[in-house]
Amino acid sequence: MRLLVCIKQVLESETAVFLDQAKTWIETEAQARYGMNDADQFALEEALMIKEARADTKVDVLTVGPGRAGQVLERALGMGADRAVHVLAEAEGYLAPLIIASWIAHYIRERDYGLILTGIMAQDDMQGQVGPMVAELLGVPCATSVIFEEVDSEKKSVYVEREIEGGLREMFVLDLPAVMTIQTGINRPRYPSLSNLLRAKRQKALVIDAETLPPVEGREKVVGIDYPRKSGTGDVLHGTPQEKALRLIEILKDKAFL
Amino acid sequence: MGGSIVIIAEQHGGQMAPVSYELMGLAEEIQALYPMEVRTVILGQGPETLAREWADSMGGGVVAVDNPHLKTYNSELYKDILGRILPELKPVFIVMPCTTQGMDLAPGLSVRLRAACLTAVDGVRLEQGEICFTRKMYNGKIEAVVRPTVKTTLLSVQPGSFKTQKPARRDSGLWERRSIGGQPEKTRALGRKQIREEDAGLARADVVVAAGRGIGKEGNLSLIRRLAALFPKSAVAGSRPLCDSGWLEYKQQVGLTGATVSPKLYIACGISGAIQHTVGMQGAGFVVALSTDPNAAIFNLADVCIIEDLTTFIPVLLETYAKETGRSAG
Repeated sequence: MRLLVCIKQVLESETAVFLDQAKTWIETEAQARYGMNDADQFALEEALMIKEARADTKVDVLTVGPGRAGQVLERALGMGADRAVHVLAEAEGYLAPLIIASWIAHYIRERDYGLILTGIMAQDDMQGQVGPMVAELLGVPCATSVIFEEVDSEKKSVYVEREIEGGLREMFVLDLPAVMTIQTGINRPRYPSLSNLLRAKRQKALVIDAETLPPVEGREKVVGIDYPRKSGTGDVLHGTPQEKALRLIEILKDKAFL
Repeated sequence: MGGSIVIIAEQHGGQMAPVSYELMGLAEEIQALYPMEVRTVILGQGPETLAREWADSMGGGVVAVDNPHLKTYNSELYKDILGRILPELKPVFIVMPCTTQGMDLAPGLSVRLRAACLTAVDGVRLEQGEICFTRKMYNGKIEAVVRPTVKTTLLSVQPGSFKTQKPARRDSGLWERRSIGGQPEKTRALGRKQIREEDAGLARADVVVAAGRGIGKEGNLSLIRRLAALFPKSAVAGSRPLCDSGWLEYKQQVGLTGATVSPKLYIACGISGAIQHTVGMQGAGFVVALSTDPNAAIFNLADVCIIEDLTTFIPVLLETYAKETGRSAG
């Protein structure tokens, strides 16, 4: 069986983000650091564990993004993925999930994947749409927020537990092929190994220029971005740390918390 | 604008999810801009009681879809049934909650209906005469204004963002039961199980001191514990990444897939304020937030904002408090 893991390069989560001049998209400092989306690391680890538990299983990774996104493919190969696919889309700015999902589905249709995994959500635009959209475009079953899975190769199915609200899990059996979006915490993602990293340096990703794929129209436009309007009327404390500490203690005493 | 707003109410085991009522709040805000009728669809196995209660309290136009396989949620069957009945209702907007179920259902359903899909929507506004919706990105630090460009749009609504005006008496509404066949072929639902009991200490605490990624390393949790120890009936909690790292137990997680708490005081330490977390603590009475990032979204919810590094500030706070109490005691 061949598995596909869809991964995204995102800004590291503590990176400062600013508005561009026209307030149409974000800007970052030139030295801003990028990495593999957190949840996608869990998805990749889960795929690698499936591969290690059974013979004849291969793990491919795919990313959609500009040239710099090749970095996450290298890391994925370093973690143990077998092949890398880069759907090259140079344009920065908002890329509708439907467009990304359509490109991925187009790639998958011409191939034979038994299971497609991705993270529950990208930590930058926080949509969580690409996974279930790919499933619908392919007409295959899907489970999101997967916190436990077990593949049954004989029955060509996968048992999944979805993490939902209130400390509950929802259990399903999906026929393969299927799409799973993986919840964080399902495993402990490994670090890349040196030997794999050396191999990754030599191994070229299959690059597909997005412009050669069938064109897809997004169904929404981001007309602008901004810093959220302050909804609260929070009291910002000023002064030295000692002064702030004293003021906070005063407030907490006034409110009878201390 | 013709057409309708269709609410997909969420219910579990015959109980309406409270968040479903918030959907009416968004529908009302859309109606204020574009008068349109509101319809509600409730899916279930024998959903008549729910439909009647909804029609009585929230107004009419309720379609109760009955199917023997709808005892619990099943994405395949939901998409199949909604894909068949929604076009009849000519929706311009379809609204559902951005719960784990809504997140599972919305994107695929939008593809089937050729609709736009906007997730975690928390506001409505007009921009140059066009209806737009707001949603957060980058852990809540950035708000995007999004405009649908097709005639049907599916909106998943961020819990806690809208309130229904819910007049004392609405016209007691009509509802209809529709028996719709079909069964899932490739997705078998096996039910639900409780995996984690709630943390009784956390649920009962008057004061919750919560840690986020900003604590940097596990060792700094001792600062959080010492801060919590200043308060009687306090508990330590955290955001999901800390539980994923194994630094805190999952029962200590506050947020969408964790606990929902409403203590009298919530002290957020190094927490960015992503919606996944704040949805679990927005009912807190008084919020103190501590972060190095002046743009952190948590400051939007906070009553007291302290822009400091918690690893240096909490020791100063503890020391200052010890001196203060020493002085007043002496």
